[in-house]
Amino acid sequence: VKLCVPPSGFIRKLPLHSCNKEARPSWDSPMQFVLACVSYAVGLGNVWRFPYLCQMHGGGGFLIPYLLMLILEGIPLFYIELAIGQKMRLGSIGAWMAISPYLGGLGIASVVTSMYLCLYYNVINAWSFWYLFHSFQSVLPWAECPVNANRTGYLEECEVASPTQYFFYRETLNISSSIDENGGLHMGQALCLLLAWIIVYLFIVRGVKSTGVVVYFTATFPYVVLIIYLIRGVTLHGAWNGVKYMFTPKLEQLVNPQTWINAATQIFFSLGLGFGSLIAFSSYNHHNNDFEKQAVIISLINSGTSVFASIVTFSIYGFKATFNYESCLERMRLLCLNAFDLSEESISAGNVTEWIHYLNITHPESFAAIASKIEHCSLEAELDTAVEGTGLAFIVYSEAIKNMPLSQLWSVLYFIMLLLLGMGSMLGNVTAIITPLADIKLLSRSLSSEILLSRCSLCLCFLLEFVRSGNYWFTIFNEYAATLSLLFIVFLEVISVCYVYGLRRFERDIEDMLGHRPNWYWKVMWAAVSPLLLFSLFIFYIINYIQGGTPTYQAWDKDLVRSAIKRKHIY
Amino acid sequence: MLAGVLLLIFLPPLVAKDLCKDSQDGFKVRLSIKTALGDDAYEWNESEMFLFRSTLAYAMRKQTKQDTYNITNILVCNDTQRVSFVFVVTSPDDPDQLIPKEQIEQAVRQNKHRINNAFLLSDMTLEFVGIPPTLAAPIIYDTEPWLIVFGVVIGAVAVGIVALLMSTVSKKRRAKEKAAGLSEEDEGIVKENGTALSGLGGKEGVYNQTFSNDNRFTEL
Repeated sequence: VKLCVPPSGFIRKLPLHSCNKEARPSWDSPMQFVLACVSYAVGLGNVWRFPYLCQMHGGGGFLIPYLLMLILEGIPLFYIELAIGQKMRLGSIGAWMAISPYLGGLGIASVVTSMYLCLYYNVINAWSFWYLFHSFQSVLPWAECPVNANRTGYLEECEVASPTQYFFYRETLNISSSIDENGGLHMGQALCLLLAWIIVYLFIVRGVKSTGVVVYFTATFPYVVLIIYLIRGVTLHGAWNGVKYMFTPKLEQLVNPQTWINAATQIFFSLGLGFGSLIAFSSYNHHNNDFEKQAVIISLINSGTSVFASIVTFSIYGFKATFNYESCLERMRLLCLNAFDLSEESISAGNVTEWIHYLNITHPESFAAIASKIEHCSLEAELDTAVEGTGLAFIVYSEAIKNMPLSQLWSVLYFIMLLLLGMGSMLGNVTAIITPLADIKLLSRSLSSEILLSRCSLCLCFLLEFVRSGNYWFTIFNEYAATLSLLFIVFLEVISVCYVYGLRRFERDIEDMLGHRPNWYWKVMWAAVSPLLLFSLFIFYIINYIQGGTPTYQAWDKDLVRSAIKRKHIY
Repeated sequence: MLAGVLLLIFLPPLVAKDLCKDSQDGFKVRLSIKTALGDDAYEWNESEMFLFRSTLAYAMRKQTKQDTYNITNILVCNDTQRVSFVFVVTSPDDPDQLIPKEQIEQAVRQNKHRINNAFLLSDMTLEFVGIPPTLAAPIIYDTEPWLIVFGVVIGAVAVGIVALLMSTVSKKRRAKEKAAGLSEEDEGIVKENGTALSGLGGKEGVYNQTFSNDNRFTEL
């Protein structure tokens, strides 16, 4: 029997204590809670942002600032959010109001940020569905360009770009040329988004009971796929080039301050702090759940997954770069053979570059005729093309997949993995909205309110994302919706817990829950190191924003068939 | 006399070479046999050239629907190591007159598939410089395959929603029945003869406290 003591002080005046007719629902086992947090924290950022940062900031050397930041800010902040949730047994609004009524705004800020995130994050799931459904064809649609009207060649837009880029920008998004041109609705995408939202709704409809069952799958299956991909990836031709390139540490990058800033922000966003999801999840815990051990485990799993995913990504990169390099050599070989009518056996892929030199010297006039078509093939240049974000997930990966044998199978596996990663994170964010609103009785936990909520979100999404300029809105949201506000929110969280609530009181609460006080490491981090780090990150972002001038975005230019930079209008 | 005879003998091939070399109506052909077939590549020799000329004559026959085209109408020159050469087609009625480029192009385009197959090559590896390949028509589906998969998934989801609704409804109904049934059960317990026991339908019976071994209330 759970002893229900009505909370004292401020909370009694507010309509949000949990000693009501219905006891607060809870996880069936601590394992469900851990898996829910893992499923939430391990998301698309681990797959598409961390490998990019690793490549940009010196390969293996990047792990040093990354792990340091994990110890300095990641784990302590994670611990605080779990502790607050478990102690107050309320969502973010209620929990912060219990500390001080003036802090209610902090909770509301978390809920609003989660709402912004929900609006645009499910779009990625819609894209994953689109690609998944299109994988069930004998020839993957992004493997070949579509044929033009009189069947003499391929569509021009596709020839100049690549089939994968064409499929993403033209067939998936049908992108317009700027954010101002709305274009029409893309019905296929709208249907996929509808499906994504219905599935999210089904996952959360019974609250913790349904979420708890779903996370067994969404947390574990991506690892199965990653392991399969790891085995497939390292056995691909040329994969070793990529992995070697990634892991060679370039320690001179460590003196670049940008490296440290990126490490700090990556840890921060990767753990999903500040959205209120962790508070919401842990509010369903038993009072004596050992969250200290769980916080450390989950953070380490999250970082470990990032490193693991980047090994997979780099083996895929290596394969793609080697494939492109060898195709380039083959093209040059053919060019020389055709221009000089040499026998096919004379030039092999290995001595193309020597032959080009030789032909330039011996037949300068004829060589000048083809000089404009000569490309300089370089494996390093191919490996250097670092991509992140949706470009990596949907363009680079699909390009690599189409060259693998049995590509349909790999495509299906990959997009299912992306879906599960995205859905897991969505679960956390939607719970972060529903839990605090249900706690302050704005919504009841029953079926009908969820329908209302989902329907509202759906409508909002339709409005924004499935016009043809949707991808530009997506980019805006991705860059601005959560970054600055989260830093501010978490900074205030740490300050409130340490100074408003009081570190001593917090220690006593933890002793009450866990049976022992937190040791000096935690206290030093909470009181001094983490706030300082967060504050400096926040200042840095503001300076960067002010210095950046008019914000710009990458627009797809249909005529030039590449991304060009456009200025954003400030409304 | 001898010179005249020799001239007569060597004139046609010389003229033929001129027809081929200088002509505007010729096409350059390029074969990449090693690239296409690797280890199974065949040697390019006179017999293969013979086959090529006969396939071209076949293509001309099919296109013009005249059975008069013969292998002698196909003239070849500029053989290189690459395995590339130039060919022209002479009219079967007049060996000095060349068939115009457009007609040859049409003939080749219509029969490219047959020509490719004769040499086990493809559009990429058997190139006619200046004649664009005819690519395979895109497959037109009655229903796009992605819609089918989408339909399956959303059907499963709809089944899930229906099951959910039904379980909620049945739970509510059971709760209502339980609330109504409790009052009936109270009356049943009062009767302690055979009819009441059979009415309880398989439950363990009624606990009669008179014979209990419960010492809870009598500890000293």
